[in-house]
Amino acid sequence: MARSAQAITIPASLEMPSGPRQDREHFQWGSLLLLLPSVLLLAGLFLFPVGYAFYLGFTNLALIGPTAQNFQFTGAANLQTLVHDSVFYQSLVLTFIFVFGSGVVGVTVLGLLLALLMQHAVGVIRAIVGSIVIVSWMLPPVTAALIWYAFSTANGTMAVLALNPKADYLHTAPMLMVCLANIWATAGFAMIVLSAGLRNVPAEIIEASQVEGARIWHRFWSITLPIMWPTIVTTVLLVGLLTLANFSLVYIMTAGGPGNSTNILPVYSYQQAFSFDHLAYGALLGDVMVVIATILAFAYVRVARVTI
Amino acid sequence: MKGLARVTSGPDALAPEDMISVPAPRVDAQALVGNLLLLGIGVLFMLPLLWLIFSSIDANASWGIEMPQITAKNFSDVTTSDNVTSLYNSFYLAAIATIVATAVATLAGYALSRRRIPLKKSLMLIVLFLTGIPVSIMIVPVYQMYVTLNWLSLFPTAVFLGVTGLPFEIWLIKNFIDSVPIELEEAARMERAGTLQILRTLILPLALPGIAAAAIYGFINAWGSFLIPLILLSSPGDQPGPVTIYSFIGAAVVRYGDIAAFSVLYSVPVIVLFLIMSRLIGGGFLLGGAIKG
Repeated sequence: MARSAQAITIPASLEMPSGPRQDREHFQWGSLLLLLPSVLLLAGLFLFPVGYAFYLGFTNLALIGPTAQNFQFTGAANLQTLVHDSVFYQSLVLTFIFVFGSGVVGVTVLGLLLALLMQHAVGVIRAIVGSIVIVSWMLPPVTAALIWYAFSTANGTMAVLALNPKADYLHTAPMLMVCLANIWATAGFAMIVLSAGLRNVPAEIIEASQVEGARIWHRFWSITLPIMWPTIVTTVLLVGLLTLANFSLVYIMTAGGPGNSTNILPVYSYQQAFSFDHLAYGALLGDVMVVIATILAFAYVRVARVTI
Repeated sequence: MKGLARVTSGPDALAPEDMISVPAPRVDAQALVGNLLLLGIGVLFMLPLLWLIFSSIDANASWGIEMPQITAKNFSDVTTSDNVTSLYNSFYLAAIATIVATAVATLAGYALSRRRIPLKKSLMLIVLFLTGIPVSIMIVPVYQMYVTLNWLSLFPTAVFLGVTGLPFEIWLIKNFIDSVPIELEEAARMERAGTLQILRTLILPLALPGIAAAAIYGFINAWGSFLIPLILLSSPGDQPGPVTIYSFIGAAVVRYGDIAAFSVLYSVPVIVLFLIMSRLIGGGFLLGGAIKG
């Protein structure tokens, strides 16, 4: 493995090195130069904004008006508003439903089911269904939102198939619809990651258990699931974060409505900042999302013991 | 090159040849149920797509689903200069974002893979953490920053879009360079080749599938972004595809067929790029192997 065939094609005329080895053992200042562009960009346009958001959350910055230019630190004033904001609590609950119900449970379970079924499916069915699921995932978020708006509104495919064309599910069950749309748009991702993980389950173990006549459910619970566990944990985290970030889908389908019933945190933060002009309060709501994302990431590192 | 990618990245989940070459399993009751269930899920996944396909070729399209009166007029209608400009804007944003992020991510990925760097583990953990930060968190501070710096235009927006994809690109390229054998590089070092020379003549060609995949990821990420251009681009002439679709929906006279046709034109490049990417490296490696769980 280490001596690859390519290494032999190197001219044999190489002399032994006559100086210090220049490989990874020594720290070189030049290494920092290679990292510098990335560090500058990430510091300036990623870490700084996240930090700056924490400051802005405690100011009176507005989109328009006198405090748009001359904003100042107002201490815990926004925090006071936050703890008395019933829409915020509603938004927190909806975000939880969206991230855990739709993302973690819905997407991961469906992705796992798809990956397992794909493994033993006939080639043609595998290719067709795989393509459909992946196209659903690859479509840009705005297109996915548009498709689901048409799908779930009155006279849409869903209402027609339910033999009740007048039904406007996007109005009567909006949270369910945005959750289903998110599952539809993200399951392909979970399927790909989990399919790759399934291939790491050694075939010999499966065959041995087949010879012993283990039932399919028993095989799944006692062999596949334990071996797959690290991949599943990874998938749960990634899907959770993808769902938490899924602003476009909900914003275009419902804009948080009707009456805040789908107002998840990213949408509510945008609404406060850019519709109600409360930029500072929008930033504070964004800070709450940073906290949620951090908790997810820490939980993941603890559970999965990431190796780098 | 492809062989290298295959060996190091594991079997390719979705390359078409895999799907076709798999022998049909022995047909028993269990397999039949499994296949039917999968087919059923596939049909359910297809249903939402029907509206897009039908309406894009329907002369009387609406939000509802109906048999289309087939026409190509929707597609010719939406190729107005404004709409073409918005697709061009999308391309400009995605191209700049991709070039900036991929260039700096290649340098950083190389350093993180090959060089001894203090606190390397912590750095990689930070990169991993940033990969998962939802972009909507940053939108207020970045807006405020861009207002102050007078940067509310295409190029600075493109650079920000590139940075949002940068952590994952670094992660991807670092892992890919890890899988390139180090012997060639050691030999080149003995000949006193400079770092940039090694990068250009050795690393770039050998890690090209990984770098290309990272570039395509960056492109798709920027191409699909809706919130960032919506907030950071104030001039109507700068708006990219997704914002144009959004404005179609809110227009006084909603032309459903045009929306569907334009969405198809806007979405197809992403699908094509994804197909190229999954040929370059396995989809499983790209998304699963990138984070070693």
